[in-house]
Amino acid sequence: MTPASSTIIQVACVVLLAPFATGMVRWAKARLQGRRGASPLLPYVTIATLLRKEMVVSPVTSWVFHLTPFVVLGTALALAALLPLMSAFGAFAGHDDFIFVSALLALGAVFLVLGGLDPGSAFGGMGASREMTIAALIEPAMITTFAAFAVASGTGSVSGMLAVGGAGIVAQPALIASIAALVLVMLAENARYPVDNPATHLELTMVHEAMVLEYSGPYLAMLELASSVKLAVFALLLGNMIVPNFLLVSGIGAVGVLLAIAVAIAKVSVAMVLLALLESSIPKMRFYRMQEYCAVAFLLAFAGLVLTVTQVLV
Amino acid sequence: MTAHDVLRRVDSTPAASRTGGCPSTNVPREAFARVCTDFVAVHQYRLASLFATDDRHSGSGFGVHAVLAHDANGTRMMVSTSLPEHDPGYPSLTATIMAAHWYERYAMDMFGIIAIGHPDPRRLVHHENIPEGVWPLRKDFAWNTRLAHGAVPYPMHHVAGEGVYEIPVGPIHAGIIEPGHFRFNVAGERIMTLEGKLFFTHKGVEKLLEGKTIAEALPYIERLSGDMAAAHALAFCEAAEAIAQCVVPKRAALLRALVLELERLTMHIHDLANIAGNGTGYTIMAAQGFRIKERLMRCSATVFGNRFWRGHISPGGVARDLRIEELQMIAAVARDAYRDMRDLTTMALASDGLRERLETTGILTRDVAIAYGAVGIAARASGIACDVRHDFPDAAYRELAPVPAIEKTGDVFARFMVRVREMDSSAALIERICGSLPQSPVVVACAPIQGMGIGAVESWRGEVCTALIMDDGRIARCFPRDPSFCNWALFGELGPGNIVPDFPLCNKSLNLSYSGTDL
Repeated sequence: MTPASSTIIQVACVVLLAPFATGMVRWAKARLQGRRGASPLLPYVTIATLLRKEMVVSPVTSWVFHLTPFVVLGTALALAALLPLMSAFGAFAGHDDFIFVSALLALGAVFLVLGGLDPGSAFGGMGASREMTIAALIEPAMITTFAAFAVASGTGSVSGMLAVGGAGIVAQPALIASIAALVLVMLAENARYPVDNPATHLELTMVHEAMVLEYSGPYLAMLELASSVKLAVFALLLGNMIVPNFLLVSGIGAVGVLLAIAVAIAKVSVAMVLLALLESSIPKMRFYRMQEYCAVAFLLAFAGLVLTVTQVLV
Repeated sequence: MTAHDVLRRVDSTPAASRTGGCPSTNVPREAFARVCTDFVAVHQYRLASLFATDDRHSGSGFGVHAVLAHDANGTRMMVSTSLPEHDPGYPSLTATIMAAHWYERYAMDMFGIIAIGHPDPRRLVHHENIPEGVWPLRKDFAWNTRLAHGAVPYPMHHVAGEGVYEIPVGPIHAGIIEPGHFRFNVAGERIMTLEGKLFFTHKGVEKLLEGKTIAEALPYIERLSGDMAAAHALAFCEAAEAIAQCVVPKRAALLRALVLELERLTMHIHDLANIAGNGTGYTIMAAQGFRIKERLMRCSATVFGNRFWRGHISPGGVARDLRIEELQMIAAVARDAYRDMRDLTTMALASDGLRERLETTGILTRDVAIAYGAVGIAARASGIACDVRHDFPDAAYRELAPVPAIEKTGDVFARFMVRVREMDSSAALIERICGSLPQSPVVVACAPIQGMGIGAVESWRGEVCTALIMDDGRIARCFPRDPSFCNWALFGELGPGNIVPDFPLCNKSLNLSYSGTDL
């Protein structure tokens, strides 16, 4: 297997798996609340339906509104190609510096915000302002978390962090705090509890959903797919940080590829069930508590960094 | 003339001639505001309702009637004034009795009666599209009049300044709720002012009721607000019975209380689920709470043929007696629903995250609640002891004697707790009524012919106060005042200071009816 083919397999699998991740978390939430719940495969149907639908675009929008879905989906796909999700030796391995990854995430967030602002609706502006607040507060935690991994592995590239980690978190107990911080960052980045409620219909409380309220049809399908891809990417990344096994490696056979795909599905499913458990057991946090949430995430990340640095120096 | 004179005059009239269980007195229009203010400020009455009448056919112009209630003494009083046909104005009460503000704007829109000196004389019911000079509740306005399209301004409060922006929400919302427009003026996330624009789906019920008999009118009354069918029906029937001076048999009174408490239990379960579940995102409460509420609604469907506890309360008693099996079934369903919901609320109250969301959110201070004439859950959560079941008990509640649930803090948590405690007491009342019903007929003849009656009932939301005037066996005027009418304006007070994402939670903690307000 060549690095290029492993990257192609990874992107294809992540994109195909992404709607399942969203569906899975919804289904698990329903089950945990005692409801029957829609099939985890429903988001595939939703995206297919949206792609067929007519788009309603406000006449006051500019090119920014039209560009946003492409940029947002583009950054999500770039993450799916760059990061070591199913393969640690992909075509871009070594190019996925964690600062670059953070910048990609920020690029997607900024365009989402611009797309929310562009139609000039009150809800879009409200969501945009909240998104920027959260993004600005959570970014230090994200950078610090990855910095700890970088110190532990001696490399700034995320795939390098994974390759050196080898036995994963078990071999680096100092990284436990960083993993915890990564979970908090992942929840905030993906607009999940306790930062945002992806299932609410109350416009006044929305963050992510408020920004995409004006989108419809194929554009909405792209944005929904982008959110799903992002969720699957973070789930797999987190899974690989903890269990960096069963990845695509050179010289792998057909059975190995199938096994890697099966493990990826398992990792996403487990992550989504855990997410559903979290979202079923706590209420959403008051928006003015966000700074405390982000501060906790940063403190955890910083603790992880300090422990790792200490370990390396000693 | 002062309230003291009025009270003395009322005391000297024989009890039998007092209209509809509520002594009434007529004062000159110049003295109207003074006397009412005296009642409120000196004698601790509160304004329970204020409505206008078109009495031009009898040559006495227009009437304005203030219903005043003294909760601690359990007494009610009606002070009226007559206004000449060609100069229908009177000194406004609102300057001295804040609670009158919406009633007077309502009368200005519907009757063209001017409350002179009203601090906020904007339109209330009529939106931009209603032309000037349209007074739908005057007798010479036909219910099916087609109006020209008007363009009258409907200004709303507006704050200017750097960084201040407006958020218009509604009238069409994402959830399946009624239409209402809310205008937020916001600095960052903090709400500075908040104003509602309601009355998008005016039904014209007051107009349609005129000329109908009691029996013809009841179905309209039951449909004023779908979640308060029993309470509105009961208040209406009590007003009619006060005019007819008939006494409802004991068994019927208890069966009515049973339906009222079932409605309360159903809706408190709904609200607890909605506040915690949808308001804060503690989703298990919504998923499970709505399932539990559904059991009660199906119980209503089984017993009464509809899901809204409708069709049972009727003038003079109840529509039919309930069989022992039906009572047992109702008791069993209510017991199970209550037990399940109590488990859920116990779990919810143990959640720090949930309490953190509810506590200190949407605080309504006691002073504001009194000034605005807040009723029901909103008033009791702010430390005001008012519960019609306790203060003005009918035959059933005199025996059942429920204790009002009072909380002090006035926040969303206090309103949550009032509901939890009332759910406890309603479940106990249902159990008690089902277990110990005396045998008696369940209906007496009730034929109100002439006169005025007041019916007041503590619905799950708060006090319903229905004023009914009969003329020759037909309704001349009926004003079923929904508790929502008193409480809507509270949002302007409890919203500011909170952050925008907490407003839905404040809204759910009051859960007011658009339909009940927009008659």
